[in-house]
Amino acid sequence: MSAFDGVKVAVLLFVAAIAQVSIFGQLHVFGAVPDILLVTLVAISLLRGSVAGAVGGFFAGLIVDTASLGTLGLTSLVLTLSGFWIGRYGETTGRDRAHAPYLSIAVVTVLYELGLLVVHFVLGESAPAGAVVRSLLPAVVLNLIVTGPVYGLVRRLLRAMERQELSAEVQLLG
Amino acid sequence: MATRGRSARAAVLASSVQRSKPTPYPSKVRSAFLRRMVLVVLVLGALTLLTISFRSPTAGALHDLQGAGSSALRPFQIAATRVAQPFRDAYDYLDSLANAKTENSKLRKEIAYFRSTQLLKSEKAREYDSLVRLMHYEQGATFPNGYSAVNARVISDSAGPFAQTLTIAAGSSSGIRENAPVVSGDGLIGRVSNVFSDTAVVSLLSDPNSPVPALDLHTGVRGVVHPGPGGALIFDDVKKQYKVDAADVLVTLGTIDPRYPDLYPSGIPIGKTSAPTVTDTASFLQVQVQPFGNLGSLDSVAVLVKTSKHK
Repeated sequence: MSAFDGVKVAVLLFVAAIAQVSIFGQLHVFGAVPDILLVTLVAISLLRGSVAGAVGGFFAGLIVDTASLGTLGLTSLVLTLSGFWIGRYGETTGRDRAHAPYLSIAVVTVLYELGLLVVHFVLGESAPAGAVVRSLLPAVVLNLIVTGPVYGLVRRLLRAMERQELSAEVQLLG
Repeated sequence: MATRGRSARAAVLASSVQRSKPTPYPSKVRSAFLRRMVLVVLVLGALTLLTISFRSPTAGALHDLQGAGSSALRPFQIAATRVAQPFRDAYDYLDSLANAKTENSKLRKEIAYFRSTQLLKSEKAREYDSLVRLMHYEQGATFPNGYSAVNARVISDSAGPFAQTLTIAAGSSSGIRENAPVVSGDGLIGRVSNVFSDTAVVSLLSDPNSPVPALDLHTGVRGVVHPGPGGALIFDDVKKQYKVDAADVLVTLGTIDPRYPDLYPSGIPIGKTSAPTVTDTASFLQVQVQPFGNLGSLDSVAVLVKTSKHK
């Protein structure tokens, strides 16, 4: 991943994190909120791999925890693991499959919510398991709804660099 | 070149053209060791931040750093909020429209509930006023000696063209006897005409079978109060030579001769007279009476029960 690619990823995640904290975090639908940051991170992880996913998840979580004045490192930890895991899935089996973003979002939304619940529980903070479980299905549906446009946007922004890398490699081999 | 029977695509596939290798994924070129190291470092970093933040949530360098970071991010958050405000307003508007029907139904139910509660409270307040007036009468100077009051709720009202009675929720078990006088807080209502164990029937003043001997407090004229031909109460049996003024107060006459005891003790307010009319053909004055007690709308009454032999 080039430096310019990294800058684009960083800007994408920064905008998504700010939007999540300021806008989407307050948009409650059936007890759940659409997680635009998680969807963006999953898209980046699928397109740029596990290391980009893990690093992006770490710093995006740091922005969220800083902006919301929450416990530092909490969101970072869960997003780092989510980004890495989805990145590995993209590198191995899901890279060229059309359903990969949707499958990844459905699974990672559940794991992300449960992961946050577990970390809160371990820290001795309020961990309302019933409310979290009840909001899982609406959260998955909401995230799946925004997956299409967000993944399309991220793919469009990152694809140009992918083609450049591709043509350079062909020239090198030729 | 493709042979007969084989498609051009198959020929291309069968040719020995050297294809380029599949595009290596950027992450793939890194070693698994490096990838794992990055993950371990990031997870350890997150756990370190988590530990420090958890152990000193309100003080320390990390707390100050977080505050500074939050301040730095604040303009971006404000900008994002302002950008999203029109969309949020539109969403709120559509959401309120979508919920309007449900909310309308809910509000209608609430209005019905509060209306019934309000009616109940009004009814209670009216009953309270009635009971207060009754209590004042029972504790007042005009309450007859030798009697005690049995308070009872009116449970049905049969006042109408065919019956001038009402039923009260007290009977012989409360000491009520037949022909006992019945009063409200304003004055005489009638008398008990039928007694059961826990209920009793009261014949109102407007019942033709319940005439009441009365006395004009202003002029001292005696007569009888009973319903006239049109149903209105009249002060009857007053000879023409006696004087009765408008708005004179009538009270029960009471017993004059102990050999002929009256049903009603003396001094119970009955009503006010209207201007008397005199005709050449009639032997008596024609005086209408406006009763003090509202015979058509009673919530509670008191039955006067003898406690000792009175005058």
